[in-house]
Amino acid sequence: MQSLNLNYYYVLPHIILSITGIMSLLFGAFNKQAHRDLVFINSAGLITAGVSTYRLWNLVSSNAKDGPLTAFSGMVVLDHMSLAFIFIFLIVAFLSTLLSLNFLEDEDQSPEEFNSLLLFATVGMMLMASAGDMVMVFLGLEIASIATYVLAGYRKTDLRSNESALKYFILGSFSTAFLLYGMALVYGATGSTNLETISNAIKSGNNAITAQPMVMELLYVGAGMLLVGFGFKISTAPFHVWTPDVYQGAPTSVTAFMATGPKAAAFVAFLRIFVFTFAASYSFQLHTTWVNLLQVLAILTMIIGNIVALSQTDIKRVLAYSSIAHAGYALIGFLADDWISVAFYMLTYSIMNIGAFAVVSVMAGKGDEKTELENWAGMGFKSLGLSIALLVFMLSMAGMPLTGGFMGKFFIFKTAWDKGFHIIVIVAVLNSAISVYYYLRPMVMLFFRDENETNPTPLMSWTTYVTILLALAGTFYLGIMPGRLFSLLEVAKDVLVK
Amino acid sequence: MVPLSWYLALSAVLFTIGAVGVFVKRNVISIFMCIELMLNAVNLTLIAFSSFYREVSGQLFVFIVMTVAAAEAGVGLALVIAVFRNRESLNTDDINLLKL
Repeated sequence: MQSLNLNYYYVLPHIILSITGIMSLLFGAFNKQAHRDLVFINSAGLITAGVSTYRLWNLVSSNAKDGPLTAFSGMVVLDHMSLAFIFIFLIVAFLSTLLSLNFLEDEDQSPEEFNSLLLFATVGMMLMASAGDMVMVFLGLEIASIATYVLAGYRKTDLRSNESALKYFILGSFSTAFLLYGMALVYGATGSTNLETISNAIKSGNNAITAQPMVMELLYVGAGMLLVGFGFKISTAPFHVWTPDVYQGAPTSVTAFMATGPKAAAFVAFLRIFVFTFAASYSFQLHTTWVNLLQVLAILTMIIGNIVALSQTDIKRVLAYSSIAHAGYALIGFLADDWISVAFYMLTYSIMNIGAFAVVSVMAGKGDEKTELENWAGMGFKSLGLSIALLVFMLSMAGMPLTGGFMGKFFIFKTAWDKGFHIIVIVAVLNSAISVYYYLRPMVMLFFRDENETNPTPLMSWTTYVTILLALAGTFYLGIMPGRLFSLLEVAKDVLVK
Repeated sequence: MVPLSWYLALSAVLFTIGAVGVFVKRNVISIFMCIELMLNAVNLTLIAFSSFYREVSGQLFVFIVMTVAAAEAGVGLALVIAVFRNRESLNTDDINLLKL
């Protein structure tokens, strides 16, 4: 048993963001037109949280020999993986805050709830990243999800937004029930909810409380339920059906957040439970079982995501199916037991997706009216900069060299290939080739079709402009010079293996 | 004393009824109730294990699940009201704007 170690310094980033969220709620209550001020408050909170995360990263690096830092009776675990993902969440939240200003101002939505919900969701995601206990995984997941349900339905009078939020809510809680049942069964089998105790129990094969041999069936069924629950959350096929509807109906700046943040959070909890707790070094048989299952799921996810994306006519649905396919690629990193390439992949994925959705939010205009690709015919030369930015993000998602997407895919495929997963890597590469078709179709629409109606030139505010520029810079930086970041993570790998 | 397996079987049955109900039911409120049934089946499992092991961590988990379920119900019913205001229907067959 761990001692009750109430170390608030380890959760300082979480605390800072929670306080910032409450502050922006209060600030908005007293200033009715506070859209711009709230962006500054949020950014200040996020940057402060980033600085304290950076200090924690150094602390973890210098404490490397003693293993990960734990606090609150093992509820909070800080290692390089949790901190790397916390950085990703902070970046996502920062870009989403900038991106959403235009939506909130244009449509006269109340900004204070939006900004604080965004931060609360981020806190939930950060708790998932630093969870050392199944209770914490569940709690963080729900904090993030409940805030995101509300964000998805933020256009209160828009039928599409209502429907998206309702579908997200129903399927989100449905999948949470599966996840919880899995947790309950794993608790039943191993006798603990603490992940470290669980891994020790799996290693010894004995229940942590009774010290009798544990009932393996319970553990396997529990792990299966967890797999289904996480499958829903990261939208792997066949649990992906909610994704396109929810992404299409939600306001575009919310979609940008939903497609990146909560997904990366589900990935980190998935990694923590499966790759770290159900690891091969603890139980070879359990590990082989879930790796085989996940291999099938990853292949299905890539194929279904890419094939169905070919027939979509709505740009947000295209991006939704592309995000399903990307979940498939990222799952390959799980097979190779390599969290570093998954973290790097989620970073590149988040940046290019937020960029693409930012362009979509400008092109679609007020109220997201024009998301059908047909509406975009001939708009390319009117808004050349935007179209070129979209081209870059789309090529990056397809895996074009010199962009971040290529490097993300490269690292994932390389580790999987080295571990002997040849077939799945070949399938993934073929799928990337298929995906080029639907990534380039918007470009054909934009540049090679005649305008079928006189569209006004899309206007954008400076924050959206900055978001797109930052996303472009990030995409190129990760594509051309990934070495520095990757070597930073590689050092973390040596530290992590105990 | 009732053996552990009876509790587990009961909660598995309750969970299945809830999961099937989510697919079968057409009214949003009924679907929501089915989800609550699934969550409570999980709570039953946790409590059964907790009392079997004579240890409290499972029961603490149940408290957290109940709290979160209450928060979720608040948000969920608010969303249901938002949909009903704009559509005047809670039948899932009518909520079909976003489709392939």
